Amino acid sequence: MSGALPAGDARMPGPPGAARRGEAAWPAVPLRRKAVNAAFWAACFACLALVAIPTVWMAGGVIARAVPNFRWSVLTTRTDQLSGGLENAILGTLAITAGVVLVAGTVSVLTGMYLAEFAAGRRRALLRGGYEVLAGIPSVVLGYVGLVALAVGLGWKFSLLSAVLVVSVLAVPYITKSTETALAQVPTSYREGAEALGIPPSWALRKIVLRSALPGIITGILVAVAISAGETAPLLYTAGWSDANPSLALIHEPVGYLTYPVWAFAPINQPVRSANILSYDAALILLAFVLLLIVAGRVIVWLSRRNAA
Amino acid sequence: MSIEAGPGESQASPPPAGAVAGGRAAPPGEARHDGAVALATVNLTISFGPRPVLTAVNARIERGAVTALIGPTGSGKTTLLRTFNRMNDKVSGYRHAGDVLLDGRSIWHPGVELMALRRKVGMLFQRPNPFPMSIIDNVLAGVRAHRLASRSAMSAIARDRLAEVGLWDAVRDRLKDSPFRLSGGQQQLLCLARALAVGPEVLLLDEPTSSLDPVATESIEALIRRLTPALTVVIVTHNLAQASRVADRIIFLNDGRLVEHGRTRQVFENPAQQETARYVSGRFG
Repeated sequence: MSGALPAGDARMPGPPGAARRGEAAWPAVPLRRKAVNAAFWAACFACLALVAIPTVWMAGGVIARAVPNFRWSVLTTRTDQLSGGLENAILGTLAITAGVVLVAGTVSVLTGMYLAEFAAGRRRALLRGGYEVLAGIPSVVLGYVGLVALAVGLGWKFSLLSAVLVVSVLAVPYITKSTETALAQVPTSYREGAEALGIPPSWALRKIVLRSALPGIITGILVAVAISAGETAPLLYTAGWSDANPSLALIHEPVGYLTYPVWAFAPINQPVRSANILSYDAALILLAFVLLLIVAGRVIVWLSRRNAA
Repeated sequence: MSIEAGPGESQASPPPAGAVAGGRAAPPGEARHDGAVALATVNLTISFGPRPVLTAVNARIERGAVTALIGPTGSGKTTLLRTFNRMNDKVSGYRHAGDVLLDGRSIWHPGVELMALRRKVGMLFQRPNPFPMSIIDNVLAGVRAHRLASRSAMSAIARDRLAEVGLWDAVRDRLKDSPFRLSGGQQQLLCLARALAVGPEVLLLDEPTSSLDPVATESIEALIRRLTPALTVVIVTHNLAQASRVADRIIFLNDGRLVEHGRTRQVFENPAQQETARYVSGRFG
C-alpha cells in the first residue's frame, strides 16, 4: 500500500534524501502500519490477560486460602456436619464422573459416529439440532427435570443414578460434538485407501478411522468430565448430599460430591470456620482434579499420535 | 469369474500365455479375444449431476499389460479409472449407463460383492496414503481385514510384499515405526505393497508418481513393468514420457470421449486421429 502513497506523504516518514544519496534503502514502514500493528498486538495481549488474569487470580485465591489450613486427613475422613473431611465427597464425585463417562460416553460416541459416518439428510439435521438444543439448556433446569422425573416421579429419591443420568444429559452434547468433529477431520485418504483395498467399512472404522479420531474423542470426554465434576445445581436436585461414603446402591441413597461444600460451606452461607476450611479444600481438590484430567488428556493424545501423520 | 474366490489363486496365477501373446501381436486396438481382455467398458456413460463426464466409452484393457489413460485435465481419465473398482459409486450425483465388464461379467451385477471386487481390482492414489499404524500393520491391513492368512503367516507375507516392492532392506529394522517417517517415494511403495498383499488381479494407478521425485518415480516405473504380466495394470498419467516408458497400450481420452486406443508406439508415432496427434505432440492439454 505504501506504493500508492504520494511521495512526501506525512504518513511515510523515512530518511529524507536517503534515495538521493544512492543508498539502497528499503522503503520505511509507514507510521500508520506501525500504529495498526502495535494496536493489534495490544489487543491480543489484552485478550490473553482477560483470560489469564482471572484464572490465575482464582486459582491463586483458592490455593492461598486452602493450603495454610490443609490437612491430608481431609482426604481420608468423612464430613461430620460442618467439620471433618471430604472423603465422602471425593468418592461421590469420582462415582458420578465414572458413571457419566460410562453413560454419556457410550451414548455420545455412538451418536457422533452415527452422525459423522452414516446419517444423512433430514435425520442428521434433526439429530444434530437435537443435541445443539440440549447444549443450550441451563443445567439447573435439567436438575429440576431430574428431580421431578427421576427422584420423585420414579421414586429413586436423591441417588447416584439420578445424578449420573442428569449430568450425562449435560455431557452428551460436548462429547457428541467432539466425536463428530474428530471423525470428520480424519483425512479422506485413509477412508479411500481402505475402500480401495476392499476393507469392510466396519473394520476400517474400528482400526483406522476411530484410531485417528481417538485424541479428539478423548479430549471431548475429558472436557465433559471436567464440566460434570464442576456442576453443582443439577446435583443439588438429584444427588442431594450425604456425610456417608457412596455405597453400591444406585437409587434411594443420596451421594456427597465436591461442589456441595464449595457452595454450601462457603463463608457467605456458613459462618463456621471449620466449614469454610472444607469449602476451600474442596475447591482445591476440584482444581487439582481438573488439572490432572487436562494432563491425562495431553498424555493420551501424545501416545495415540505416535503413528500419525 | 472368481470374485467370491479365496486368496492365493489370483495374483500368483499368470494369465493364459497364449492370450497375452495373442493380444500383443494383434493389430492396434484389436485385442478382441475374450481371454485377453481383463476389463472392458461397454458404452459407458458417467455423470455427476447433469453433465456427463464420460460419454459412450468403449475401452478394452488387455490382461497382463500396462495400459495408460492419457488426456488433458478434465478429460475423464481418473473418473474412468475409479469406475473400474467402483470408487465413484458413493459420490453425490453419480449416475452411470452402459457397463464395465471384469472377466466378461458386469461389475455392477447384483452377485458381485463390492469388497471382493475391490480386493481383486486394487488401487494406488496420487499421493501416498499410508494408514496411521505401523509399517508392518500397513502392509497387512488388507490381509487382516479380509482374514486372508493365519497369524503365523503374516510376517512372511509382509516380508515378501515389502521385498517385492524393494522396500524390505530399508524398513526391516523399523517395521514397528510410523510410516510417516518414510520418504514420499517409500510411502508410495509401502502403499503398493499393501495393495499387492491382498492379491489383486488388476492394479489401478492414479498418477502414482505425480508427487514423487525422479528417482522414486523410476523405481515405481520399474516396478510397474515387473508386475506385468502377472497383473493387469491401468495407469492414469499426465506425463506423456512416462506413458511411453511404462505402457504397452494407450487410451487417449478427450472431453469424456475415447478418442484413440492402441499400442503405445502406434499412438505416439502414428496416431490415427488428428486430435491425438495434437495432444501427444504437446500442442494442447
